[in-house]
Amino acid sequence: MPTILDLHSHSEASEDSRAPVEAYLNWIRLRRQQLPLDGIVLTEHRQWNPSSDYRALEDKYQIMVLKAAEVETDYGHMLVFGVNDDIASRFDFANVYLPAQELIDEVARMGGIVVPCHPGRPNVGLFEHYQRKPALDNVIAVEGLNGGSRKGENERSAELIAKFGYKATGGSDSHLVSLIGLCATRFEAEIKTIEDLVRELKTGNYEPVDFRPKRPQVRRAEPVEESEHRG
Amino acid sequence: MVDYDPALIGKVFEITEPVTVTPEMIRNFCEALGETNPLYTDEQAAKNGPYGGIVAPPAFAITFRNGRHFFQNIPRFGRSGFDAGKDVEFVSPIRPGDQVTLNSSVKEIYEKTGRSGSMVFVVVRSTLKNQRGEVVAHIDHRFMHRA
Repeated sequence: MPTILDLHSHSEASEDSRAPVEAYLNWIRLRRQQLPLDGIVLTEHRQWNPSSDYRALEDKYQIMVLKAAEVETDYGHMLVFGVNDDIASRFDFANVYLPAQELIDEVARMGGIVVPCHPGRPNVGLFEHYQRKPALDNVIAVEGLNGGSRKGENERSAELIAKFGYKATGGSDSHLVSLIGLCATRFEAEIKTIEDLVRELKTGNYEPVDFRPKRPQVRRAEPVEESEHRG
Repeated sequence: MVDYDPALIGKVFEITEPVTVTPEMIRNFCEALGETNPLYTDEQAAKNGPYGGIVAPPAFAITFRNGRHFFQNIPRFGRSGFDAGKDVEFVSPIRPGDQVTLNSSVKEIYEKTGRSGSMVFVVVRSTLKNQRGEVVAHIDHRFMHRA
C-alpha cells in the first residue's frame, strides 16, 4: 500500500516558522481531496528534540507525524532522517558548518540517512557546492522537489539528479500552515514509523509528487497591427 | 561558529522608568487603529465583560519604548544588520492606571545560512511588567547581522 509523506516541514519549533503542528494537520484533514497525504515529517532547523510527542495529534487527525531534522553543512542544508541518541550526541546540530561527508557516513553507520535538500538553491544547495568542490560519496537521494524553491532552483536540482543518478524526494519546506503538503514523496511501500521511512529512503522506490495548484495561463496581449488599430 | 561571551545571555542590561497608562492613551490607540471592540472602548460594556473594566487591546503592548541605551547594548556581528522582526507574547491585560516598565536582556544568539550567505541573529527580549510585578507581555526583537 503506497504512502505519501511531506518529507520537509517546519513548525513553530523552528525560529522562522509560526505554524503549529495541529494547524498543519487540521489543514490537511480539511483538504484530503487536494492533499492526499498520509503524514508529514517535521524537520526543524538545527535541532533535535527527542521529547516532543505528537501521538495525541496523530490519533485525533489520523495523520502520521514523524520527526527528523534539517541541519547545515559545508555542502549546504541536509535532512537527517532516523535521528537517534547516537547521532544527536555525535553531531552538534546547531553548528552551521557540519562536515557533510562525515555526517552522511556517520548517520548511515548509526542507522539513519541524510538527504541533501533544495540542492538547486544558491549558497545552501549541493549544486553550487559541486561547482567548486568534489562530489560527495554515498548520497542516495536528494530533494528533487522543494515547495519553497524559487524559479530555476528545482530545475537545477533536476539537472543534478540526472547527472549523478540520485533518487529524488519531495517536500513542501513549509513554514506556513497553508503551504503544507504542496510537495511530497510517494513511496511504493507502506510506512508507519521512522524506521520504515529510513529503510524505504535507502531502497529508492519512491518519487516526488507535486500538489501545487496550477496557475492559470494568462495570454500575453498580441500587438495590434497598425492598420487594424486604425480600423 | 559565532563567537560570543555566553555571560551575555539572560543578563538584563536595561530597565526603563515606569510609564503610567492613562485612559486617554488607550482611547487614542483605539482611535488610531479603528478599534471599536467595547471591551476596549466602552466603560459600561467593559464593566460587564470578562475583565470588569476597560483594558488595552493586546497590541497596545508594543507602544512602550525601550530606553535610550537599548541599541548600544545589542551585540553586533559583521559589517551590517537590520531589524528582522518581532514576536510578541501577550500575557495579561494592561489596564488604565498600570505602571509599565520594560526590562531587556539578550535572549539568544544563533547563526544560520541561507540563499544570501551566513547570518547571525541576536534576539533581545523585553519583558513588560506592571506595578505589581506581573508580566503583561514579552517582546522578542530579532536583529540580523551579516556574518
